[in-house]
Amino acid sequence: MLFFSFFKTLVGKEVAVELKNDVVLTGTLHSVDQYLNIKLTSVRVVNQERYPQLTALKNCFVRGSVVRYVQINPHDVDTELLQDATRKANSPIAVGGGKGGE
Amino acid sequence: MASTLSEWKSKPVTVLTCDGRLITGILAGYDQLQNLILKRCVEKVYSLDSPVEEVELGLFVVRGDNVAVIAECEEKADGEEEGEEDIRAEPIHEIQGNR
Repeated sequence: MLFFSFFKTLVGKEVAVELKNDVVLTGTLHSVDQYLNIKLTSVRVVNQERYPQLTALKNCFVRGSVVRYVQINPHDVDTELLQDATRKANSPIAVGGGKGGE
Repeated sequence: MASTLSEWKSKPVTVLTCDGRLITGILAGYDQLQNLILKRCVEKVYSLDSPVEEVELGLFVVRGDNVAVIAECEEKADGEEEGEEDIRAEPIHEIQGNR
């Protein structure tokens, strides 16, 4: 849920999504869901000469399971806040609940 | 905020599958897992040596596991098809690492 919340803060920002087949799509993050499926608007394929078949893409839905990286502008992220939230989410207190009863 | 396909119901879409195929058809149905029903769909096969080849597929159900990208596209207007034939491209790689 942490990354879902994180991506929600980036809606409206420009991101580059690199897929596991090496295709990179840049565009505006329109929406994200709990599976980290991403919808992008104003899409442009990076490296258009390699992928002329994808020139006509304007708005697309990217399945979360095929994403390798999401590249974000550092100015759009508060890295310290993100690190804090990650630490809390992975702390012994948060994780402890699932480990009882052995 | 939810990322749904509802905007594109009954619209022409192009689906990039995990094995690198491009299938264009009308999105007749879908579910949460991105299982899709595509009407009147056509696979566009691109290669470096020859013009675009279109393979008519008819009515297809595509399992969501195999879907990489779904993109909205414009309905083919007869005048625009001529530009399409000239596209020469290497095939798109398959999605690596999806077990």
